[in-house]
Amino acid sequence: MSAVIVTVGDRPIREVNKEIRAALAEGNAVTVQDTRSRHNLGIGLPEGARLRFEGSVGYYCGGLNDGAHIEVERNVGWSAGEAMAKGEILINGYAGMSVGASMRGGLIHIRGDAGPRCGVAMKGGDIIVEGKIGYLSGFMAHAGRIIALGGAAGACADSLWGGEVWVAGPIESLGVDTKVVEPSAAEVTSVEALLADRGLGSNAREWQKIVSAERLWHFESRDAGAWLMI
Amino acid sequence: MADDLKTPYEYPFELPSEEAVAMTDGGIDGRPAGVPSSYEQGKSVRWTPESISEVHALSRLGRYQIRGFTTFNHRMPTFDDLTFVPATMTRLPLEGYRESCDTKTVLGGGTGLVEKPLELDIPIYIASMSFGALSANAKASLGYGASKVGSMTCTGEGGMLEDERSASQKLVYQMTPSRYMLDLEHLRMADAIELVVGQGAKPGTGGLLLGMKVSERVARMRSLPEGVDQRSTVRHPDFLGADDMQVKIEELREATDYQVPIFLKMGATRPRYDVAIAAKAGVDVIVVDGAEGGTGASPELLIDHTGIPTISAIRAAREALDDCGMTGKVSLVAAGGIRSGTDAAKCLALGADAVMIGTGALMALGCNSPRYFDDYAALGTAPGKCHHCHTGLCPVGITTQEPELEVRVDVPAASERVARYLTAMTMEITLLAKACGKSSVHNLEVEDLRALSLEASAFTGVKMAGIDKTYSW
Repeated sequence: MSAVIVTVGDRPIREVNKEIRAALAEGNAVTVQDTRSRHNLGIGLPEGARLRFEGSVGYYCGGLNDGAHIEVERNVGWSAGEAMAKGEILINGYAGMSVGASMRGGLIHIRGDAGPRCGVAMKGGDIIVEGKIGYLSGFMAHAGRIIALGGAAGACADSLWGGEVWVAGPIESLGVDTKVVEPSAAEVTSVEALLADRGLGSNAREWQKIVSAERLWHFESRDAGAWLMI
Repeated sequence: MADDLKTPYEYPFELPSEEAVAMTDGGIDGRPAGVPSSYEQGKSVRWTPESISEVHALSRLGRYQIRGFTTFNHRMPTFDDLTFVPATMTRLPLEGYRESCDTKTVLGGGTGLVEKPLELDIPIYIASMSFGALSANAKASLGYGASKVGSMTCTGEGGMLEDERSASQKLVYQMTPSRYMLDLEHLRMADAIELVVGQGAKPGTGGLLLGMKVSERVARMRSLPEGVDQRSTVRHPDFLGADDMQVKIEELREATDYQVPIFLKMGATRPRYDVAIAAKAGVDVIVVDGAEGGTGASPELLIDHTGIPTISAIRAAREALDDCGMTGKVSLVAAGGIRSGTDAAKCLALGADAVMIGTGALMALGCNSPRYFDDYAALGTAPGKCHHCHTGLCPVGITTQEPELEVRVDVPAASERVARYLTAMTMEITLLAKACGKSSVHNLEVEDLRALSLEASAFTGVKMAGIDKTYSW
């Protein structure tokens, strides 16, 4: 597989993405340079694509990822990997707000911190954050795991459905309708194996696994009679 | 004097019996004599039987009430507050029974950014109602019926059903804040994408689907635990304000290679400003959903007491587009409480490019039809009065996920009724348009209308009937 260089600069994003898609379609790996933190780079890329951004990128990088392997040399703006279904996004710097928002599968790995609402409304997949996750991270996550190695800011995991937020390090405050539970040995093994695959293996972490307390799941029981009262 | 007060007063006769004091002799059973006549009727304008019942319900439930359907606020003006003033001497009518009137409707072609603007044969399409709120049979029937007359449907927030996609020749893929089952392939299979920032029945609040309807299939599609009372977010997970939305819209265009229009649906609250901002954000089509819009389930107070009437929202939205030079570039769709072609024609005259119908389409499917009387009775209601969409026990199988109820939607028959309803509505629009001298339904204009009340004139800027002056617009 040869590497093709695509330059962003001040070119129209549509033109840049078209060039990226064309190079990927020919089976090339793509290196994107002069990124200038531009928005909407690498949207909806297919399985098998390999893409590296040199520098920082703006909003929605890797959005709707459908299986591509994407690496960002430095930081990403808001909503990187938004709604991704599969594939992998490696962010070597920091992530802005809503990284992995409503993602359904795949893996996002952030070496730095993640901003507020990391993994908001996620429906599956994993997010690994080597640093700290921001305010309201995991808000209404339906499924999937957020794994934070450097602690969590306030309102952590607020209003979870079926998602899990794993935190090693301090949590400033928990969100509503959450509880910290003791993970099973098998669950810890699964999380640590995922981390070990990323070169982050350790036996010394004290995990706080946050799940839904399920107090907001029902107005009443799932009972027709309850709704016939009104 | 003080000493006198300490002495109990004694009548110079024996104390009367309680029965004598109550004047029960000859009185109506259960009604003490001497009580005002309002005793039985109740005449308080504030504490009506309904408001008393509301307090009792809140006292019992300990939470707000929830229901489906549409507003019960009787103060809401209706399309009936406007009337058409057809051609007479100042203009020439077209032959209503003979001459043709164009109904073709193009949405999303004005910005020049879209490869495939939507071309509909009629100016009406089916509103966004999710699988979950509606049964799969109902969704498919809407699709087939709309397709037969060259119209389209919309997925709603529950994701795209294969049956729905295949049934609908044209389908809008809705992207709500909750992003249930958001899928790139589905996005690329859609004929348009609709970002939702609100809906008319409950602007400012996210969707609601009660546990009775969160079946195994619905739960799987939405990645939710089965049977939960699903309360959706109202803020999108990946953008906050209008400037961010502009970037989001570009993302969607990139994901779909600029092929299809981007819609934005909003509940009608401050349309004069909201529509201008949406147009600036770069969408192709703006859907303004008035307060009369329906819902499968909502806190009742939101249905009855939020949002502004559709007739007022359309005019404000059109003026906003005019003011910022976006008329002709951004299409405007009106929705909320549209029952007939007459209502739809009034929307077009007020400034809409097309209309979207939800509740009316459900009626065409069979909602509230006089069948299965026992099942209506079990819900404490009757045909013509039912608004129990939220229970998931729809007697006619439309707003349910119960298999034994869903089969009551006979897909071929329901599809045909939807097609005929849309056809009839279109004929009503063209009849009115031709009476007003228009060879295209899109030539209907505000001048073709008069208001029958000061309020309607004030709400819409339509001239008052008779005096031909606008009330304070």
